[in-house]
Amino acid sequence: MSAAENDTGPGLAVTMAALTVIVFLQVPVVVVVLAAFSTTSYLTIPPQGVTLAWFGKVLGDPVYLSAIRMSLILACGSTLISLVIGSAAAYALFRKALPGAEAITSFLMAPLILPAVVIGVALLQYYSLSGLRGSLVGLLMAHVVITVPYVVRSALASLSGIDLAVEEAARVLGASGFEAFRLVTLPLIRPGLVAGALFAFITSLDNVPVTIFLIGANQTTLPVLIFSSVEMGVDPSVAAVSTLLILATGIVLLIAERRAGFHRFV
Amino acid sequence: MIRARHGLMLLAPLALVLTGFFLLPVLMMLPTSFREYVPGVGLAPGVWTLENYVRIVTDDYYREVIWRTLGLGSFVTLACLLLGYPLAYLIARGPERWRVPLILLVVFPMLLNLVVRSFGWIALLANRGLVNNLLIQLGLIATPLKLMFNLTGLMIGLTHIYLPFMVLMLVAAIRNVPRDVEAAAATLGSSRMHVFASVTLPLSAPGILAGSILVFVLTISALVTPRMLGGPTYKVMATLIYDEYMQLLDWPSGSALSFALTFMAIGVIWLSSRLTRSWAGMA
Repeated sequence: MSAAENDTGPGLAVTMAALTVIVFLQVPVVVVVLAAFSTTSYLTIPPQGVTLAWFGKVLGDPVYLSAIRMSLILACGSTLISLVIGSAAAYALFRKALPGAEAITSFLMAPLILPAVVIGVALLQYYSLSGLRGSLVGLLMAHVVITVPYVVRSALASLSGIDLAVEEAARVLGASGFEAFRLVTLPLIRPGLVAGALFAFITSLDNVPVTIFLIGANQTTLPVLIFSSVEMGVDPSVAAVSTLLILATGIVLLIAERRAGFHRFV
Repeated sequence: MIRARHGLMLLAPLALVLTGFFLLPVLMMLPTSFREYVPGVGLAPGVWTLENYVRIVTDDYYREVIWRTLGLGSFVTLACLLLGYPLAYLIARGPERWRVPLILLVVFPMLLNLVVRSFGWIALLANRGLVNNLLIQLGLIATPLKLMFNLTGLMIGLTHIYLPFMVLMLVAAIRNVPRDVEAAAATLGSSRMHVFASVTLPLSAPGILAGSILVFVLTISALVTPRMLGGPTYKVMATLIYDEYMQLLDWPSGSALSFALTFMAIGVIWLSSRLTRSWAGMA
């Protein structure tokens, strides 16, 4: 057995190639972090000097702070709404309470298939005509549209592993419909919902192609701000704020892995 | 079973949101794409035309951008496949204790903000960027190589960005190949290369197709990375749409291009599902 496994396992060449690709994947991340601590506006090898000044500049800049605040409001708000209406819809589909479940599921997943820039320009015209352009509600709903498929998908995936009989048993023992869901089904699908919410949050926090068409004055989000300041020219404070994002993403990923075994959901 | 009325109540909020903020806006763009845009004025009143769609297939510049977008999609897909397969193979078939750390190292760049990753590539590829700096210091080149605002930069950046998606799809596909079959082929005297070519590769073909379709569709739809690494002049379809709306204010032309891009994305997905179905029929 072990001999056969050795014969079919990855050889040295494959392992080396794979590890090179892993390094390639981390290179831009490392470069951004190094640039954030560098005294020169362009990163050099060896680095010219080490400074924390760019972090100070970012954390003292009201434009950056307001963009960070806006991004967090949108990400938290849209994740919460998506989590509630997305898992409710997934539950209805799972209980087969509706005809045409397959068609409905495709409709719920459609925002993932359409290019994001198309959703952005469609909403731009729609909001301009309806007066929603520049409103927080409009932005929030746009983010719900792009995040909710992730919640629906992971809710459906974790529901599919559940035996309906367990919930029915709770009903027989006297629990109401909602109690049976809350006490039996919900704890079982919680890891899946956490993963779905995390994907939703990151998707919202990451989004430029929809947001950039819809924001009004003082509504710039962090990625849109980075995106437009790079057009103006490279500034190390972009590297500093990016490093803060890298740090936050890394911490969230490690927590999600420890608490919910995140790698099983990707 | 819960009753249909309850099911409808649970589904209604999401269905209403998607109808009101996704389906309707996209459908309302359709009439716009048949209007005529007059610079400085806006939509010409009462004029309906096919001109916006005709221009997409006849205008040389639009055609160049569309071919560039499709070519970029194919290049990036191929590069992701070639780089991704060995890594996916190591994750799926390598030592068990390497699996979780490797998956996390693949997922981490994927979860990282797109603008941050694209910014990292700018720091590497710019004229005064790290790569050119290093090559000049080593004396390999005298003047900086042009690595940005062209196909090279977009290819490198987009391959890096969509590689994790490909790897994760391939890991799932390779793990679905029964080890017994590989072991049997090896026991029967096949070389490692032969086992791979005659067993693992064909049996992971559905995953290869699924990953390729995903990467291709994501690449042709991408806006942020092409704009950051391609600048305002080297355009692909998504950045062209962006400029039609934001700079030229030509909504009719922009919406026609949007439908063309959507049609291409959905067309590729539809074709691949046909292909998968016919494979399933053969098995």
